[in-house]
Amino acid sequence: MHTALQTNFLGIDLASPLVLPAGIMGLSYSGLAVAARKGAGMVTTKSFTLQPRTGHKGPVVAEWSGGILNSMGLCNPGIEEGLKEVHAFREGATTPVIISIFGTSREEFVKLARRTNRSDGNFLELNLSCPNVADEFGTPLSASQEKVSSIIYHVKKISRLPVIAKLSPNVYHIREIVSAAEAAGADAISLINTLGPGMLIDRKMGKPILHNRFGGVSGPCIKPIALKLIYETYSAVSLPIIGMGGVLTGEDAIEMIMAGATLIGIGTGIYYRGIDIFNLVNEEILRLLSDEGYDGIARIQRLEKLRE
Amino acid sequence: MNKRVTMKIGRIEEETAAVRTYTFYRGIPAQPGQFIMVTDLKGGEKPFSLADCTEDYFSITVKKTGEFTGRLFAQKAGDLISFRGPYGTAFSLSTGKVLVLGGGYGVPPLYFLARKLLADGAAVTVVNGAKTKADLIFTGQFNKIGLRQFITTDDGSAGAAGSLVDLVQSILRDETFDFIYASGPEKMLKALAPLLKKIPYEFLLERYMKCAIGICGQCVMDPSGLRLCVEGPVISGRQLERLTEFGRYRRDVSGRRIPLT
Repeated sequence: MHTALQTNFLGIDLASPLVLPAGIMGLSYSGLAVAARKGAGMVTTKSFTLQPRTGHKGPVVAEWSGGILNSMGLCNPGIEEGLKEVHAFREGATTPVIISIFGTSREEFVKLARRTNRSDGNFLELNLSCPNVADEFGTPLSASQEKVSSIIYHVKKISRLPVIAKLSPNVYHIREIVSAAEAAGADAISLINTLGPGMLIDRKMGKPILHNRFGGVSGPCIKPIALKLIYETYSAVSLPIIGMGGVLTGEDAIEMIMAGATLIGIGTGIYYRGIDIFNLVNEEILRLLSDEGYDGIARIQRLEKLRE
Repeated sequence: MNKRVTMKIGRIEEETAAVRTYTFYRGIPAQPGQFIMVTDLKGGEKPFSLADCTEDYFSITVKKTGEFTGRLFAQKAGDLISFRGPYGTAFSLSTGKVLVLGGGYGVPPLYFLARKLLADGAAVTVVNGAKTKADLIFTGQFNKIGLRQFITTDDGSAGAAGSLVDLVQSILRDETFDFIYASGPEKMLKALAPLLKKIPYEFLLERYMKCAIGICGQCVMDPSGLRLCVEGPVISGRQLERLTEFGRYRRDVSGRRIPLT
């Protein structure tokens, strides 16, 4: 990979700022490996829970003109099997891994984080923002400053791995939430998780298309919201940000960096441009950098921070 | 974007006590081997390979195995079904002398394939295998389109007695083919692969699928990371050789490895 794409994230050098985010392809070692081979600088596992989960019944995705709607329901093989997949991945690749975990309480997050202490992961991401299990667990934890703060604080006390908080866009007070995350000791912020949730209807059957009725919205339509929330986060805290939401091209990636992101996640983009999207966006970033006369992505000018 | 279509079932035909073919009067742009995701929007959405497809209709063949297919079996012509697709890779259409191997419930997509191969001028031989005579499907349909068909059952109740693999072995002793296609239980495919070293071939594989659009990771195969819903379900012999999980294990609905029995 070209040196102009090299990015340092919490002390680790990545070959590219592009990240495979949680929930995409990350169920098995070979799913992570194919993204790494195709140009992702870092990969994230599916969110692992204490016990295996089968997820929601189908349909779990719905395609529409603006993007896709999904409600997988946190299907995953459970933390024990999941960490074996991480181990298998690391046996064949040098690409760093973020282990994503999902708990329903502070205690569960701490328990899960303890297991990742003896794992092959490089970072720990707390999924505080799954929008698709509200029937089971209520409003996502990241809607509450207090919960975000308490979970991060207690995980940080015991975690060997640097901690990333994955946050929801579906709040009115992102600045308070990210500030609480920073104060509690988070090492980085990852946002945005899917938007909404939203709903699509099958007119002939007179029913929602997704069996869970509602599902997180992703795709190009959410990019403006992602940029705004990344920018607000960048203005409010001094933590590195993994920014994502609707990124399909090198232009999109550079806009994310200008808004304040250090790394850029690409998930639904795989649906639009195929699994080669990581290599394609890497090449597009390089071309844009050379057009602007920059020798590296560190030279991209960030926006002026929003004042209080 | 792949459009979701909700429409009435046109016709339902019984193949065996546990297998039925559902025909929908609408053309879709599908090729042999491709699949559609089918749902009744009552909880469950499953992939089905197209058993046939023309400009006027398409059909899928359903085996009653659980709750979802049980509900499909309660449906009647005129009831609504919703589907999206087509998705995935298609069989390449070879000319010359070709061998089409179908085991059990793997046979239906091969009917669509055989019909297309014949239309393109290939000389088609089908080997249609099942456990017993009662489990055989599509024998009449294959006869109707005019191709050579060998029948084999494990218990000898119809055609040659024994496994499809044994029959294929004896056919390959006497004849050679330009291309081989197969679909059926993974154990059968696993046993076939070593016999086909000298002839180019394609297999239609099955894995649990959820999104069908290449993002959820459910049907990714080890170790190459092939997404069966996008880079499959039809894969070449060369791709197959790299899949160490083939014939050994699959992943269940949560992503855990389950040994193939």
